[in-house]
Amino acid sequence: MDNKVTNKMIVVKKLCKDYGAIKAVNNINFCISKGEVVSLLGPNGAGKTTLMRLITGYIEPTSGEVDIYEKNIRTNRLECLKKIGYVPESGFLYNEMTTFEFIKYSASLRGIDGTDFIDNLREVVVNLDLDSVINQKIDSLSKGFKRRVGIAAALIHKPEILILDEPTEGLDPNQKFSIRRFIRDYGKNHIIIVSTHIMEEVEALSNRVILLNRGKLVKDTTPEELKRLFPENNIETAFFKITNENG
Amino acid sequence: MIKQFFVILKKELAAFFNTNLAYILMAAYILLSMFITFFLGGFFSINNADLFSFFYFQSFVFAFLTPAFTMRLWAEERKSGTIEFLLTQPVSITAIVLAKFFAAWVLCLIILTLTIPFWIYMNIYFETDNLNILCGYLACILTAGSFCALGCMVSSFNASPVSSYIFTSFLCGFLVFGNFGRLISRAGLPERISSRIQNSLNFDKHYYDIISGQISLDNLLYFVLLTVFALWLNIVSIDYKRN
Repeated sequence: MDNKVTNKMIVVKKLCKDYGAIKAVNNINFCISKGEVVSLLGPNGAGKTTLMRLITGYIEPTSGEVDIYEKNIRTNRLECLKKIGYVPESGFLYNEMTTFEFIKYSASLRGIDGTDFIDNLREVVVNLDLDSVINQKIDSLSKGFKRRVGIAAALIHKPEILILDEPTEGLDPNQKFSIRRFIRDYGKNHIIIVSTHIMEEVEALSNRVILLNRGKLVKDTTPEELKRLFPENNIETAFFKITNENG
Repeated sequence: MIKQFFVILKKELAAFFNTNLAYILMAAYILLSMFITFFLGGFFSINNADLFSFFYFQSFVFAFLTPAFTMRLWAEERKSGTIEFLLTQPVSITAIVLAKFFAAWVLCLIILTLTIPFWIYMNIYFETDNLNILCGYLACILTAGSFCALGCMVSSFNASPVSSYIFTSFLCGFLVFGNFGRLISRAGLPERISSRIQNSLNFDKHYYDIISGQISLDNLLYFVLLTVFALWLNIVSIDYKRN
């Protein structure tokens, strides 16, 4: 995909992250514009989570830059984070809190309170169908509800950019369906980055695929183009062939 | 940032009081303090107009109590993965570190207030030196602050609350019981310089000066600098792990 697009909301330039001798992210460049739902696709250990953590400023790169709305995340971390809602893969919820308390905590940390909070809360509770568990302790929730609570907390400030690390991992088909529907709707006017290694998810969710393998960006294209790369005409084969070629 | 500071402070205090640990520690503190004051401190055999036998052992009590308040502050976040949530919110690391430190310190202040009835009782039945008692409380507050900062720092280094407790207790215990004189004398410095360094570093000297009513700038600075240094290391450690 052509990186020279206008309205570049996320710009990643020569991004590298080393853990000792291991290059978790190796010289990655791309831009993302409003309205794009980007799937970060790759096998385990490809660098998807590391890349997301670099974009959210949770970890710092060894070299390279990430700009969010033309501001560098390293030098303007707090400004950039105001625009981002991030849902890590797992274990980021305070189990001793109720759903309401966790969402409220997330909102308070972002300076949202009063009627703004009530309005936004009503919206996320309806969209993510959390009404039945709003006063329930997070510890007692099912995996699907925990995922949705995490997404609700990330959405409470209506972020321009939503970053989801394997959002449907371990969910049943109904839960997957409802989360995917939500992501598609929200992605119409925002940027969404979703990491996954589930092929069906790529087609179901995104209008762009960034394929990573061993820390390197090996393909940046649309799901349709990715399918057409090989005669079998499916993403699974393309994924297998590309990641093994580069492996 | 002040708003977020109070949000985190409130959350940490609530998390602490949601567990039975808070009440167990409060009870343990009172029992241990009173046991030490009456039995080890010889409360009835010495003149206690300034509650000296109570304050004398408080640094020892806090060395083993404050690590219980601070052990989970960072270690638990790291262990459970909630640190990823916290550090991706638009809140500065300094604000988070300070909020967690103050949460632990406030807990220490709360348990200290539990001893106020003892002070009132002394005032009713004995002639007490209230100014000296206030100095004693000041020493306790400063000690608790320094130990909380050390505890937060240690907690930020590891992901196990238990090992965080052990290391902090060891560190605070070393400050209270450690003999810096022996260490410094090995450096082969001239006697005058070595004794000055020893005096400056010695926790005992500063603590007992204050509970004896000698509030001097160097005594106050010792605790303030120790606290600030530990908090700075805490910030550095969190930032370092992001790199």
